[in-house]
Amino acid sequence: MSGIEELLARLRAQMDLDAETEHEVLAEIRDHLEEAVAQARAAGLDERAALAQAVARLGLEEVGRELQAAHAGWGTADAVIAAGLPVLCALVLRWLAFAPDGTALGWPQLLSRPAFWIVALGMLLIPLLKFERWRYALAIWVLFWGLTVLFVALPALHW
Amino acid sequence: MTIQEQMRKGTTTVIILNLLADADRPMYGYEIIQELERRSQSSFHFKEGLIYPRLHELERQGLLHAEWRGEEGGRRRKFYTITDAGRRRLERELQGWRTLTAQVNRLLGVEGEP
Repeated sequence: MSGIEELLARLRAQMDLDAETEHEVLAEIRDHLEEAVAQARAAGLDERAALAQAVARLGLEEVGRELQAAHAGWGTADAVIAAGLPVLCALVLRWLAFAPDGTALGWPQLLSRPAFWIVALGMLLIPLLKFERWRYALAIWVLFWGLTVLFVALPALHW
Repeated sequence: MTIQEQMRKGTTTVIILNLLADADRPMYGYEIIQELERRSQSSFHFKEGLIYPRLHELERQGLLHAEWRGEEGGRRRKFYTITDAGRRRLERELQGWRTLTAQVNRLLGVEGEP
């Protein structure tokens, strides 16, 4: 294992991130180290000294800790969107799916309502654009459809 | 988090936003560090790697846009550009900075900016 790979392995051990984020973070740090080493070599240092200098300037311990802090957990807005959006959309669908007298509409009537498509499209795009990671968006969609079955589909069956 | 750590984090954030707004072109992490060092004439010392958590936080907040560029199998780099929201935040931060320094200068009896 090369010096840089060893350092990246040490950094990886400090972090507990999802695989995609970890891959991107390590790729960025690898690029940094490679460029720093190349610059130090060009300035006349040997490979070992160049790597030592690059690592000292990078601050491996602090970087691992702060990268973990930067990526661990969601902010308040993220949490509200992740939890609140599926609930809100499922409730809107429930409101759309039932006529004022409480009887369930059929799919043809539901699909003819623009509001249905707005909710469906919003539920599809907002998580994807907000979170970028498709896994997060998928988790939110799964929650949405679970709630939709619970709030809309099951009650409609009973009518 | 200590006051010093908070100050370092806060100032690094506004310095990054200012640099990217000034450059008005995509820059990658190492390039940002080099440019900061050049502009500060090596007087601004910090652990270089600490720029990355700040860049990632700014990206998550929508203040920076990040994009990987380069060929598959070749060298790929993550380039950052400031967003419109980032420019608005920078303006607010700079305004706050000017106000703070003017107030401290008055308290210390130091001649501030004209």
